[in-house]
Amino acid sequence: MTTTLNPESTADVQSVRKQAPTGLALVWYRFKKSLVTPQPYLTFVGIFLWLFLYWLLCEGLKVDRFDKIPGPIAVAKDWFSTTPFQGISIFTEDYYNHIMVSCRRILIAFTLATGIGVPLGLFMGWSKKVRDYTFPILEILRPIPILAWVPLAILMFPGFEGPVIFLATLASLFVTTLNTMLGVQSIDESYFRAAGCLGSSNWNIFTNVVVPGALPFVFTGLQISIGVAWFSLVAAEMVSGDHGLGYLIVDSYMNNVTVPMVIGMITLGFVGWFTSALVRIAGNRLMQWHVKALALQGR
Amino acid sequence: MNDMTMNSRLAADTPPTAQSGNGAPMGGSISIRNVTKIYDPEGVNVCAVDDCSMEIAAGEVCMIVGPSGCGKTTLLNAIAGFHSITAGEILLNGELLCGPPKPKATQGADRMVVFQNGALFPWKTLAENVAYGPIVQGRMGKAEAKEKAYHMLAEAGLGDFGDKYPGEVSSGMARRAEIVRALINEPKVLLLDEPYRAMDALTKSIMHESLLETYDRTKVTIFFITHDLEEAIFLGDKVHIVTTRPCSLKKTVDVTIPRPRTYESLSSETFRELMEEVNEAVHEEAVKAFQAGERELA
Repeated sequence: MTTTLNPESTADVQSVRKQAPTGLALVWYRFKKSLVTPQPYLTFVGIFLWLFLYWLLCEGLKVDRFDKIPGPIAVAKDWFSTTPFQGISIFTEDYYNHIMVSCRRILIAFTLATGIGVPLGLFMGWSKKVRDYTFPILEILRPIPILAWVPLAILMFPGFEGPVIFLATLASLFVTTLNTMLGVQSIDESYFRAAGCLGSSNWNIFTNVVVPGALPFVFTGLQISIGVAWFSLVAAEMVSGDHGLGYLIVDSYMNNVTVPMVIGMITLGFVGWFTSALVRIAGNRLMQWHVKALALQGR
Repeated sequence: MNDMTMNSRLAADTPPTAQSGNGAPMGGSISIRNVTKIYDPEGVNVCAVDDCSMEIAAGEVCMIVGPSGCGKTTLLNAIAGFHSITAGEILLNGELLCGPPKPKATQGADRMVVFQNGALFPWKTLAENVAYGPIVQGRMGKAEAKEKAYHMLAEAGLGDFGDKYPGEVSSGMARRAEIVRALINEPKVLLLDEPYRAMDALTKSIMHESLLETYDRTKVTIFFITHDLEEAIFLGDKVHIVTTRPCSLKKTVDVTIPRPRTYESLSSETFRELMEEVNEAVHEEAVKAFQAGERELA
């Protein structure tokens, strides 16, 4: 008999029997749970401490060399001002124009790189013949720094868009291809054998084993590759470009207006983080099996 | 749809050769004749199987026992068609699987393998895994295969787990689902490679009962590799003890314990005597294998 149970623990038992929360309710539940752990408070304090250090160096103590950099208050003042002193704020059209141009380039470059890189990587991982043909060349081209491609890109492509998109595509193509190939090679041999036993054709094996089996690696690769795409995009915009966040940063520097430079940098941070998150969400949606298995391991 | 109509329809759909009168698939016989397998990794020849012969009758549960890395899996891989043999021949129901003109058997759904570490596709639910075979073989439509998958999973006590991914269920359930995935193809032979190796003793005993129950229902020929002597005697009709590498047949023990077997059989006098007989033969080989100290070949 369970007569010794106090009312509180009875409630616990009942909540165990209730349906586990899903969707938004689950997000809310996790948020509530996290409030009783130190994590959100530490994060908050951490951000505050870094900002304080930044302010102290640039505006508080005005340490030598740091006094040339706009401090957090100067940046915030301009960023959220309807009449920004140095020309860029969340109320100016120019600001969004730069963001849009960069995002559009990333979208094109990332789509191209994924569209070419994933199939190429899948076939390289699956077929030794394809790998023998392509891998050595890929391995020689891959270590060439993206900046070394800049002159060639400018010669090859007319206008401003071509070279920039080419460079961003190239950088993320290597990452995507390599990760996808490793993804296929990481698939346990017994899945191929099982598929063979079950009477699969080669095409069945490709669609049912190679593609889903490589997917976790593919999405890890895509998250890195979108970061790399931003990196090379900004580098390319600095050298050859007429708009975009990279151009904004270098153009502000040239014109000796330092606040938009910092605004551009912080914006890049947020936009880059946002795009990575989008890739991660897309991956989790496609790989419910993987998410659930990880969740059961407590991750 | 109720079970009666479903069973009769399924029976009507399958070719008569693969089915006996009561709708259960019939097992196939395997003859392994003088099979030799030599690997040559890095130019050094390693003989994994040497002149090994055994006969496995249709519908027999045949247990292969031998020291680690002795070449048992090599034998299984040859039957399944995962790799070639160097000499000898293997026949299924008198038809050549692999032999002189054809060193490697064609993989096919008549010989289903259940792997050591489990090979349910983690990206498919249990029901999708089970339905996969009939769909890719073109034997059933998607809906029909799915329906039969749920039906067979329910028969194996997995009725509520059809929509779960393998990562979400226990290893015992996953292994049971894998056997269902094999059986839906109505194989002539079930090849099991130490399927219960990583399981604790309690789960193992449940798996044994479930396998025996499945066997009594289907009478499929079972080729079962194991290290566990108790398991070998409890499940098997015959226990083949093989030598340490290179693998060849050392001794065959007939298990005379009547079926259906229950856990009470384990405490019988016959069981104890058989255990002693097998143990003696295996121990000798295990000592040899240990002294050779060779690394296991996959």
